[in-house]
Amino acid sequence: MGPGLLGYTVRRLLWAVPVLFIISVVVFYMLRLAPGDPVDAILGQRFQEDQAAILRKKYGYDQPVHIQYLKYIQNLAKGDLGVSTRHQQFTVSEVIIPKIWVSTRLGFIAIVISFTLGTAAGVYAALARGTFLDPLTISFWLAVDAIPVFVAAPALMWLFALKLDLVGLGWRGFASANIILPILVLSLPGTAGIARFVRASVLGVLQEDYVRTARAKGLPERTVVLTHIARNALLPLITVIGLALPGVAGGSLVVEQLFGIPGIGREGFDAVLAPDFDVILALVLFGSFLFVMANIAIDLLYAVIDPRVRVGAARG
Amino acid sequence: MLRSLLRKKLAMAGVIFLAVFYFCGIFAPLVAPADPYEQTISAEARLQGPSSSHLLGTDRLGRDLASRVVYATRTTVVFTVVVLISGSLFLGLGLGLLAGYRGGWVDTLIMRTGEVMGGLPTLLLMLAITAAFRTRINDISFWLEDHTWLGDDAATVTKFGIIVMATVPFAWIGSTRIVRAQALAIREEAYVLAAEATGASQWRVITRHILPGVMPLFIVGVSSGMAGTAGAEVTLSFLGLGIDPPTASFGSLISDGAGPQTLERYPHLLLAPAIPVALFFFAWNLVGDALVDLLSPRGQHSA
Repeated sequence: MGPGLLGYTVRRLLWAVPVLFIISVVVFYMLRLAPGDPVDAILGQRFQEDQAAILRKKYGYDQPVHIQYLKYIQNLAKGDLGVSTRHQQFTVSEVIIPKIWVSTRLGFIAIVISFTLGTAAGVYAALARGTFLDPLTISFWLAVDAIPVFVAAPALMWLFALKLDLVGLGWRGFASANIILPILVLSLPGTAGIARFVRASVLGVLQEDYVRTARAKGLPERTVVLTHIARNALLPLITVIGLALPGVAGGSLVVEQLFGIPGIGREGFDAVLAPDFDVILALVLFGSFLFVMANIAIDLLYAVIDPRVRVGAARG
Repeated sequence: MLRSLLRKKLAMAGVIFLAVFYFCGIFAPLVAPADPYEQTISAEARLQGPSSSHLLGTDRLGRDLASRVVYATRTTVVFTVVVLISGSLFLGLGLGLLAGYRGGWVDTLIMRTGEVMGGLPTLLLMLAITAAFRTRINDISFWLEDHTWLGDDAATVTKFGIIVMATVPFAWIGSTRIVRAQALAIREEAYVLAAEATGASQWRVITRHILPGVMPLFIVGVSSGMAGTAGAEVTLSFLGLGIDPPTASFGSLISDGAGPQTLERYPHLLLAPAIPVALFFFAWNLVGDALVDLLSPRGQHSA
């Protein structure tokens, strides 16, 4: 990493601060100014104005929004994410951390499967160019990708749980075979996109002059594939991987709902519907933080791998 | 040869399917065999399997499922066209070219805005936006009913407006990033420098030299974006926050039939909406994939 790249990294990291600040302000104001507040949700049918006033005071909702925001940031700086109004005995951290952990592990397993299958299928298709195996491979994954999760899930549940009785349907944690179906529906749809990207990318690179030159020089095929083709063909894949990673921690609402998984996607959905301000805010900020970091990582990786971009960045 | 033939045949099948799909959507009232809203709540009329009088059977309220599926295609057609033109084409391609070619503060502004927008967890925010606005649906649609020519359609238009507003802010970022990354690399190419040196205008450089190189990856983005865009509405409707009954949407139709036990007893409830919508996604995937092959300047030599 040269000195220019180091400065670039520092600049990007400093940029992340105002970005996260703007996100927090926008979402904070959006939540407070939108109709519906947590107090209505807590009281529900038993809503009485005097009780509502007491609760609003307790949670600080009676104060001007900018005061509430400053308090929130003060607490955030101390690592306090606030309290949940849906789970009243618990802080936001206590509510979200175990659920994020479940979703992250599940999502990570799924994404590893997706990328392994996708890269293999993409390289295979590109090398099988000219035969029917190329379009067959890609079309197969495109067909898999086209089946919505909420169609695939009940169909697989019916087949494997009701008909064949191979797995159960409830959530039994990571050690149970019941986890196979959710992992299948989480990982299979993403594969097509990766396969297509890898294939297009490998095909593009195959025709580059430098590949022809490398072959003409008499370099072994292995060297050509690894250093000339793979290095350049990986370039667009960085964006795909980088953008997919933050989503892993966010969980998948639909899959979690269909399989009864105690993950963060469902928690977020319930928090939005309630609404549960501090939980929503924490999830938005957490997700945004991961995303911004992933973006910085993507740009840096581009700069490291493709010198053309580094020149452009230094100039711009 | 076989490869390009099979690919083209599949893509052609995709195009034909999409044409039929969009035709059904646009001319839904002519295509639908019955009134999709007419309920017949009796044991003989509810939850009937396919028959000669109801081609795809009936739903829980005795409505003709074939007609509801046809009207669901209309929902999908309108939604994809609106979001695609405003989100992907206008914002996505335009901003990506601008950012990648101009660089400097224009690039910084666009990409940081994209980072702020894209940094938000999309589904959560889409849910938050729709949930917040849905509490006001009645106010908005009554106002529209009184002040515009929409009349009875006001509630549906309002729901459409809400999901479009929830989707478009997030619809451009992916394609902008792809286009910009490509444009950034391409503007360093010798032929771009040559064009600039011969005094070609910025517009000409962007459209004639940058755009062709950017198109393949942009099209991959848009074609997968098409299924994704339609998917956003279907998902929101499945969760009950998008287009909800009585207006037909694939999401709400599927949620009626989703569930292993329901699937066992009334398979038509899930299969009738699921097969067309899966074919719709598949068709877009195939068309997008074939377009990449045809439009890529590199692909022309290899095919």
